[in-house]
Amino acid sequence: MKYKMLDGNTAAAEALKMARVKVIASYPITPQTVIPETLSEMVESGDLDAQYVRVESEHSALSVVTCAAMAGVRSSTATASNGLALMHEVVGMTAGNRVPVVMPVVNRGIAAPWSLWCEHVDTMCERDMGWLQFYCQNVQEVLDLTLIAFRVSEDARVLLPSMVCMDGFFLSHSMQKVSMPEQGRVDAYIGEYKNKNVYLDPTDPMFLSDLTGNEEYTEMRYQQKLALDASVTVLEEAFEEFHKEFGRKYELVEGYRTEDADVVLVALGSMCGTAMYVVNKMREEGRKVGLLKVTVFRPFPAEYIRRLVGEQAVVGVFDRSAGLGGEGGPVWYEVCSALRNQGNQVFHYVGGIGGRDVRAETIEKIYNELLAIKAGESGRHTEWIDVKDNALELREVAKNV
Amino acid sequence: MIKVKFYGTGGQGIVTAGKVLSQAVSLYEDKYAITVPAYGHERRGAPVNTSIIIDTEPVLVNSFVYEPDYVMVLDPGVLIHNVDVGAGIHEDSVLVLNAVDPDIVEKFRGFGFKTIYCADGTGTALEHIGLPIPNGSMLGVLAAAGLVGIDALEKALIDSFGQKAGEKNAKAARECYENHKKV
Repeated sequence: MKYKMLDGNTAAAEALKMARVKVIASYPITPQTVIPETLSEMVESGDLDAQYVRVESEHSALSVVTCAAMAGVRSSTATASNGLALMHEVVGMTAGNRVPVVMPVVNRGIAAPWSLWCEHVDTMCERDMGWLQFYCQNVQEVLDLTLIAFRVSEDARVLLPSMVCMDGFFLSHSMQKVSMPEQGRVDAYIGEYKNKNVYLDPTDPMFLSDLTGNEEYTEMRYQQKLALDASVTVLEEAFEEFHKEFGRKYELVEGYRTEDADVVLVALGSMCGTAMYVVNKMREEGRKVGLLKVTVFRPFPAEYIRRLVGEQAVVGVFDRSAGLGGEGGPVWYEVCSALRNQGNQVFHYVGGIGGRDVRAETIEKIYNELLAIKAGESGRHTEWIDVKDNALELREVAKNV
Repeated sequence: MIKVKFYGTGGQGIVTAGKVLSQAVSLYEDKYAITVPAYGHERRGAPVNTSIIIDTEPVLVNSFVYEPDYVMVLDPGVLIHNVDVGAGIHEDSVLVLNAVDPDIVEKFRGFGFKTIYCADGTGTALEHIGLPIPNGSMLGVLAAAGLVGIDALEKALIDSFGQKAGEKNAKAARECYENHKKV
């Protein structure tokens, strides 16, 4: 087995290289900057045979790679936070034109307050735009899920773009031991890039993305919906094939010690590793806790949630974004909807935003609350699990200081 | 699971030191390590820290280290910034310190460390690398404290810094490994 020490950013760059992307256009933004830097070095040294297009913004970056892919080559970019927000318009163009771009996104809060650090609000804001979304637990998953995303996105039954999301700093800048797949096997796994719904022929021009009236618009959206529905099967096949080829098993949602669990926490991203550690520790103490790790958030695998959560279990959902103005955050809404006929109590938690560390103690506190609720001992539920007591005293305006 | 915390000031290569250590134990000692660097509003001279977790199996926890088994201080000057390098330590936590002056060492003992490994990492770095950057040399002291083998460390230094600069750093590390003091 060949191992390398990589952080999330370089793992993403390695994955794009292994996928042999032909066109790259990316605008640097913390904490993603190392991805375009690494790719530009790979192109400059000749390690990666690709055209690197320098652009003046993320809006142009995604425009370039979307159009390059429509012209017939595998293309990629990467972004984070405000960069993804600036891409928003083009995010819809990529998905609606059914262009299978794969884009690593390093999760970071969207200003204001200005932050460079981890939060899921950036990708959650794009959740209904028709992209697949993967959330990585560790650096190995950044590499693996990026490769898997190419295969799934480019499948003729799908033809939709993918975001591969990794937590800013906790993954993008965390160096970890990564098992490197062989290039030849990656080539065989992903296959060659071939346009399936467009062609480029100057003697027979094809017009794309024209104004679509209401006599066709609904049907084209419906096609996208059906493709997302169909992607569940394609994902399952791709995960199974990946397991066979490379020995690592992935699922849309992974149940970790959930079989007989009294309480289950649903989470995504790097906090899942810490949650697994807490589950193991609490299990040793005889407490029946389990974790649902959501690896694929779009399409949302509601069927998996129903299958993995026992009807008697009390459920907590950890959103790493605030879900402002709603009754809860985006993951909580999905889980509530999935379990609506099962009768589970589903509690919402917000935490880890703006880079606040999701400590083992934070997760243990959630489990203890859920266990007490399950036992009928207490109804105490701290929705903002890691907010400080002095929240309302911060940053008071002082004049002439 | 061994939890490690490095303290220093911006420009000393704290994050790089964490990466070299994790590379040494992961690639040359068949273990698993992750680094969890705490990036702040960095500037040269500001206090910084980084966390490293080492285990014989893949590390699940992805969170900063709060209760370190090993603490390394690359710049004793962090005391001026009121950094509590004794935060979360236990009875057997070991300190690796870039200072040999007995007054400074005693100040750090005040944090509650029973065992302190110290060396003149900055002087050794100046001598071998020509720069006052003590990250490579002080990793040699960490090897002396038993956290990593010196051979594995030398290989990782060469991987990280390239053959020429790597060998110089490896020499500095070896010298500190051999000439440290345990007090």
